[in-house]
Amino acid sequence: MICGRCTSLATNVTDLSRTVCILDRNVSENNPRGEVTLLLAAWSKGDQSALQKMMPLVYAELHRIARRAWSQQPHNNTLQPTALINEAYLKLANAENATFQDRCHFFAVACKAMRQILVNHAKSHLSGKRGGGLAKVSLDEVQPAVHQEAAEIVALHEALDALHAVDPRKSMVVEMRYFGGLSIEETAEAMGTSVATVNRDWRLARSWLIREMTRQMNRESS
Amino acid sequence: MNAPPSWEDIERWYHEALELPVGERKAFLARASPALREEVASLLEADSTEELLAAPPTHIAADLLDGQPGGLAAGQRVADYEVESLISIGGMGEVYLARDTSHEDRPVALKILRRHLIVNALAVDRFEREARAASALCHPNIVTVYESGKSPAGLFIAMEWLDGSTFRAIMDMGRIEIPQAMDWGAQAARALSAAHTAGIMHRDMKPENIMLSKDGVVKILDFGLARHDGVVVAEPSSIGASGTISGTLSGTLLYMPPEILRGETATGASDVFSLGAFLYELTSGQHPFAGETPLDVFEAIECRPVAAIGTLRNGVPEEVDRLILRMLDRYPGGRPSASEVCDVLERARNT
Repeated sequence: MICGRCTSLATNVTDLSRTVCILDRNVSENNPRGEVTLLLAAWSKGDQSALQKMMPLVYAELHRIARRAWSQQPHNNTLQPTALINEAYLKLANAENATFQDRCHFFAVACKAMRQILVNHAKSHLSGKRGGGLAKVSLDEVQPAVHQEAAEIVALHEALDALHAVDPRKSMVVEMRYFGGLSIEETAEAMGTSVATVNRDWRLARSWLIREMTRQMNRESS
Repeated sequence: MNAPPSWEDIERWYHEALELPVGERKAFLARASPALREEVASLLEADSTEELLAAPPTHIAADLLDGQPGGLAAGQRVADYEVESLISIGGMGEVYLARDTSHEDRPVALKILRRHLIVNALAVDRFEREARAASALCHPNIVTVYESGKSPAGLFIAMEWLDGSTFRAIMDMGRIEIPQAMDWGAQAARALSAAHTAGIMHRDMKPENIMLSKDGVVKILDFGLARHDGVVVAEPSSIGASGTISGTLSGTLLYMPPEILRGETATGASDVFSLGAFLYELTSGQHPFAGETPLDVFEAIECRPVAAIGTLRNGVPEEVDRLILRMLDRYPGGRPSASEVCDVLERARNT
């Protein structure tokens, strides 16, 4: 069974960045653990506003964990989104009392948050607001490649919104696989579905998205 | 007026078509309504695109949190190599210009599959295959691999630094003199012949993977799809566990021989076919199988007659024209060996 709540997750994540800059400062000081557990429970009972409240908390926590992990072990540790999400889950949700459903919901929220982190970064790169980090790279010719990747992330983000309208479950598979970095097996587990279904969904969704992205790029270049 | 195809129909036809060998898909889709056919064909086309959505952008996620969006910083060490600058970056790895500190700072192309990408089995497989195949080959027309290994930054391959352009870029610049084309063709064929003698097939010969150095030497690169003879008896399904395309279909369609489209195993003759398509383009300025859509290209490769180069351009020696058409023979058995290609081109150039 596909978890209905997960697939009905709206794609309205774009207004998050506003809230996040405020929360980024606050979350690390407060302990949002209890709050996220309550929000997960409320959300699973159908309270949509709980998702809105939870996303920024998860988002900020992912940022925080990642920054710390990288500052501590910049060269010897493999930092995977999956690991980040797991750590955020342990941090934020009351894992001892959490149900399997809670975990599934949490992964859905966290992959959405990862998506937002990447899309925000790509957008700010494209609009040239950022670029401080790029100064570390010596050659100008690197820019086109980085620029192209950023453009691809934004294009995918937009195509994924369109796919959500056609087939919410497939868009969620992509969100988990691509933005959340989950394997096929992990995605199946987080969505409570079979590996075969995720495989098929991923294959078609990937083709569909590539086609949409290619069409969009062709429209833009002509 | 037909109703637009339903999403369920699209899904069902798409997955059924994927089960079939590439060459049978067109006939299968002919049974669908025109709208459904177009829909499914365009999805299948997208399915064979390797560049997009190849791997999660974990390197970006990590980089942006790391504060190094461009990957390794200048001055950073990877084994004996000191990174100078980033040349290219993508889901399959990064290439840097670096200095080999154990060899008087000679420049090297350092290909790195960074730790964030090591979870991508397809990327790791390609990477390791390239390291193995290229290091087994030592030939002036094949890019030299100095060393490959593991470092805290990830897997790496240190290769000879090539200052030059790919043949894609060279052909884009305009018409090439025929004696020049024959010389370059002979060099590429010589490299292929050496690889085949060593029992290694390239499997992805195309102008993007063939370079011309500034001193006029042709170099074949990217053995990421190479296979050793005998290791793989029959091609497994072209669909990897990750859902991405691997195996035979990874090459570029335009240079793909018909036996690969039919799902058969690649042999040395398959490389000769791809080289033939490249030489045809190099000498005539036109691709022998150009088409509007991938299905047109499939069809051209499978059955469209190839015009003699002499009908497109004057000055190509007849024996070279015949040679290239033989390289494009639809039956692998009808194609010359790479060493024969090299001999004929050299002879023609010298007369």
